[in-house]
Amino acid sequence: MSATKTFLLELHCEEIPARFLRPLSDEFGARLMTAMGGTLLTMGLPKGYFSPRKLSWSINLPVQERDRTEVQIGPPERLCIDLEGKPTIQGQKFAEKWGVNFWDIKFEPAGKKEPCAVVTVTKQGRPTVELLAEALPGLIAGLHVPKAMRWGSSEFEFVRPIRNILCLFGEQVVPITVDGVAATNTTWGHRLFHRQHPEAIRIASPEAYEAALEAAGVVVSVDKRRSLIEAQLHRLAEEVGGRVVMHDDEDKQLLDTLAEIVEFPKVVRGDFPANFLELPKEVLVVSLREHQKAFCIERPDGDLLPCFLTAANRPDDPEGFVKAGNEWVLKARLYDARFFFAEDRKHPLSDRLEKLKALTFQRELGSYHEKTGRVVALTKALATRLSTDDAHIDRALEAARMAKCDLRTLMVGEFPELQGVMGGEYLRHEGAHEDVWKAVKEHYRPVGADDAIPGTPMGCLLSLCDKLDTVVGCFAVGLIPSGSKDPLALRRAGQGIVRILWEQGWALTPSDLIDAALKVVSPKATKPEPETREALLAFFKDRVAYQLELAEYSGKVRRATLGAGWMDLLDLKARGDVLKRVEADPSFDSLKESAKRIGNILKDEAPVEAFDRTVLVEPAEIDLYNRLIYLEGVFGGAHYRNQYQMICGHLAELSQPLEAFFNAVMVKCEDPALRAARISLLHRLRQAFLRVADFSLWQ
Amino acid sequence: MHIQELILRLQRFWADRGCLIGQPYDLEKGAGTMNPLTFFGALGSKPWNVAYVEPSRRPADGRYGENPFRVYKHLQFQVILKPSPAKVQDLYIESLEALGIDLSKHDLRFEEDNWESPSLGAWGVGWQVVLDGMEISQFTYFQQVGGLDCRPVSAELTYGIERICMFLGGYDNIFDLIHGNVTTDDGVFPVTYGQMRQREEFELSAYSFEHADIDLHRTLFDAFEKEGWRLLNDHGHFLSAYEQALKMSHTFNVLDARGAVSTTERPGIIKRVRDLACACARAYLEHETADVAEGADKNGAAAGKGGAK
Repeated sequence: MSATKTFLLELHCEEIPARFLRPLSDEFGARLMTAMGGTLLTMGLPKGYFSPRKLSWSINLPVQERDRTEVQIGPPERLCIDLEGKPTIQGQKFAEKWGVNFWDIKFEPAGKKEPCAVVTVTKQGRPTVELLAEALPGLIAGLHVPKAMRWGSSEFEFVRPIRNILCLFGEQVVPITVDGVAATNTTWGHRLFHRQHPEAIRIASPEAYEAALEAAGVVVSVDKRRSLIEAQLHRLAEEVGGRVVMHDDEDKQLLDTLAEIVEFPKVVRGDFPANFLELPKEVLVVSLREHQKAFCIERPDGDLLPCFLTAANRPDDPEGFVKAGNEWVLKARLYDARFFFAEDRKHPLSDRLEKLKALTFQRELGSYHEKTGRVVALTKALATRLSTDDAHIDRALEAARMAKCDLRTLMVGEFPELQGVMGGEYLRHEGAHEDVWKAVKEHYRPVGADDAIPGTPMGCLLSLCDKLDTVVGCFAVGLIPSGSKDPLALRRAGQGIVRILWEQGWALTPSDLIDAALKVVSPKATKPEPETREALLAFFKDRVAYQLELAEYSGKVRRATLGAGWMDLLDLKARGDVLKRVEADPSFDSLKESAKRIGNILKDEAPVEAFDRTVLVEPAEIDLYNRLIYLEGVFGGAHYRNQYQMICGHLAELSQPLEAFFNAVMVKCEDPALRAARISLLHRLRQAFLRVADFSLWQ
Repeated sequence: MHIQELILRLQRFWADRGCLIGQPYDLEKGAGTMNPLTFFGALGSKPWNVAYVEPSRRPADGRYGENPFRVYKHLQFQVILKPSPAKVQDLYIESLEALGIDLSKHDLRFEEDNWESPSLGAWGVGWQVVLDGMEISQFTYFQQVGGLDCRPVSAELTYGIERICMFLGGYDNIFDLIHGNVTTDDGVFPVTYGQMRQREEFELSAYSFEHADIDLHRTLFDAFEKEGWRLLNDHGHFLSAYEQALKMSHTFNVLDARGAVSTTERPGIIKRVRDLACACARAYLEHETADVAEGADKNGAAAGKGGAK
């Protein structure tokens, strides 16, 4: 093992947008490994650091490339040595070329027709510092920057202007220049630090980097900054007898963002006037988060306290300016929110229904007013299948009519993420039925894979109808997601539909839903209906398959279950759950082998259902026949779908008889009647298996 | 600090650092960027540093002078530095110190905020500058103006004057700000922002939301557009044509505040403004390039023609 040293590169820039930091850090690390890994064999992924003004990477590398030996093949022996056994000129030239003594040349066939001159030369590995100096400028310039910019008079493009480059290999500066900035062994700490220390800080060696920066006010590890912030958040919330509101993904993202936008975090707790607590909790949480990058604090009962928490980019708040400033701004923001809340409630929510005509949902599919009409029609079609209570159905229709009205409120105009929530809140204030306002409030859920479906059945129905109209409507006008392109997030909407069906256990199939929705969107459709239906079926099949992944079924359970039909989700779930339980039972592995064999045998056959059982002769096939008849009897019963556990037991018991059958019987025998009977027996066995799973995919 | 003191200090600061001190452009506009000193100044290759105050009208932000934080018209202090200097962030920070902000006691952050003006065909990347949680400035590296790449790139700094004043003085109401003192033989009389502007806010909000004649504004919009293209196409006059684009933009803003523009209509209307503005930018650049080719402007300042008017 040769000696190693630590390599360190830091690009010190003007403030890099938080959202780009991690992707850039990861991408450069991977590219560095790809570029250098070939020659510096020991290389793994470098450790990446980042802060608002820094992207840095560090890794241990050998001080030079490994020496490489190369075999050089020269002229044939007869041209190298003359008849007297002396070296020819050609032979000597070859030796000179590779720097060896002529008599060290070996003469070997070396894959040629006759012995040739062969020398083994050792190429000395180049110093790592040279390799780095060669590769780095291109790697930096070639980094994929999502929103690149130019600055000054240069044509160079990067995420933000690069103002300093620190590049060390051990204690040695790696001599690179990027856009006129030459690498040195110095860098810059926190702006606050440099008010007292105008000079750049010198980094003696990569090992000293983190500590030297921290002394200069920059915690360069984002993980460390996040845990510092998190600890302070919780401590400051506890001090006032509450806990940090951190439920949504957005709240967790805020923690990440705070860690990304500061170099030295200090969490500050501020207060806001308690009378703003009359605003809905969601409004306060979103307003604080989106406008002020601040967290709310809630009491143990879930009500908010009139305080907030946010992170400053400095170690302290010596005169309370940071606290006072944030309080001042927050007050202005909440003043606006209260204005919106009051203005919006001056008119009933239903007044916005007309205004939805001027709000386009999608060019071909028309306005949100039209969408509302379709969702109401869909809700009616599906609600009558799920309920017989007229009052209940009327409330579902009312919720569908009101669902999109809040898009024309001032509050949702300001905070689009409060869509649904505000509609629900305004309806609640108007005294609407609890079913109605809750359904409206939650009808955008599930927002993502981690989000729950709406908490009420009516909310689920509204969410399902809204998403169904979106998906089917878009397909009907040719907007079908493909590859990575899904700008309208139709896959997410489709997943929401499938999850609601799955979790609610409603007796509605995707096919039922597609039919109902196609009827409703047909006036807007621009594509032929059969084509749309086919595309939708394929789309939903994928969504259902993904749902099985979300339900954490293993690959073989998923494949085998789906292979026996995907349309009836209730049935799919029942089969999947049972198969999950028997996953480790070896009988099913044997069943897989038999199922594959059956598949192969039947591949080119046209089996019929009926056959003459009296022609069967072998005990093994008669045994199998009797078991089949029993199994078919079970499937003939009305409730077999509740009995998959028992049925799987019977299937497991088939594994031995099947093996015995294949050992004893040649299916494709001479006698045509016997052959036909055996083929039919296997065909019907396969049909029976397929009520539960396609066991040929059990792997 | 009084509003006028803040403006005077910023002007002094930037004049001392090699900026021309410009004047507001006497047409209604939504942002200081629309002033030809910026719109044309940011185009082409000539060095160009300028700073000026720009009153900016946003009809939809009008609150009848009743909201303590939001107004129909506010003041922007605009700085253009072309090409953007290497120490531009440090310069900006020094300017804050010139306003008396002691940064050793405050939290200053540059948070991503990419600026875009669809009606000017302009965009840039940069930050909102956040002081103790409040946005006090917009900081942009122009990448395109009038649909044309900026070469070299200008840095644009925009200070929100009232906001900074309120923040520094701890005011809870914009109308309580002091613009300055009037001194007469009888004594010193402080004049508030409210005294100077509150009635104006009321009337202009009422105009934007209630009284503006929608049909008239639609007619005006069409007429300004026609006039602009006539000036540009028949006479090659990009400055007078650009004025028509500014008028279109403001007319659109009034229609928008009046609730007369539907969501679907909006992009089309903005495009009409942009098309004219971009055509003006191209005409300006052709004119300027021709000038350079003739060697008509050897000293390298943009003071001769076009953008510097």
